[in-house]
Amino acid sequence: MLTEIQEGKSLGPVVKHITQEKINLYAEASGDFNPIHVDESFAAKTPFGGTIAHGMLNLAYVSEMMTLAFGRSWVSGGKLRAKFKESARPGDTLTITGKIDCIEQETDVSYANCSFECRNQRGEAIVTGEAIVKVSSGKE
Amino acid sequence: MPDKAISYEELMPGYKFPPATYELKPSFVSKYLRAVDSSGDGFVPPLAIAACAIATMTKSVPLPPGTIAIHASQELEFLKLVPSGATIECHIGVAQKIARGKMSMLVLELEIFDKAREKVQSGRATIALPT
Repeated sequence: MLTEIQEGKSLGPVVKHITQEKINLYAEASGDFNPIHVDESFAAKTPFGGTIAHGMLNLAYVSEMMTLAFGRSWVSGGKLRAKFKESARPGDTLTITGKIDCIEQETDVSYANCSFECRNQRGEAIVTGEAIVKVSSGKE
Repeated sequence: MPDKAISYEELMPGYKFPPATYELKPSFVSKYLRAVDSSGDGFVPPLAIAACAIATMTKSVPLPPGTIAIHASQELEFLKLVPSGATIECHIGVAQKIARGKMSMLVLELEIFDKAREKVQSGRATIALPT
């Protein structure tokens, strides 16, 4: 976890390698067997030209970075807004980074407003977004 | 839970899909953690819970044959820790349906409750459907 919560502080990086095996495992765990993710011959005939990772798999990596930074404040009290910009494909290496953009004080509570992005090895944005985490409370 | 009674054309804002119940067994949690290449701490990762809701959504929305749905955006709020072994209920409803050129956008609202009927997560997903 972060030892200091301050504006401008970097989050991550978390680095993950995407494989078809991981996509298949995610399909089994989540129950989302959409053929665009798991059927290579079907996906090859689509405009994607091959299988793509579930957007929620990419977003799980973002959540992992937020959990590493903020611990339980994130998993119970966190909020995120994400845009899926591009697809991640088998063979891609994703790097997830973030930053605390500002800290807002509201009466007894402080909130860290963060931005995050997930990029592939070519620097293309796969997921971008914002997250808010409660970082302190006068009651604690 | 699939709702065979309604077609995509009939889906309108305000429509609620039948709720789906999931038991978040330790075996599910460990399979999820393996899939996302992560380690756990006794609680269910919030994105694992969201994954159940999204799975409910993808099974529920009656897409036109051959359509590839694209997950365009996702909002989530995590309200409560959920222990491994808990049972959750996912509620999905249609918030908006927008036709934009050759693209149709479906905005779905999701709410997830635990057995005590306390809300553990809420969110909003936008699904793009090329037409």
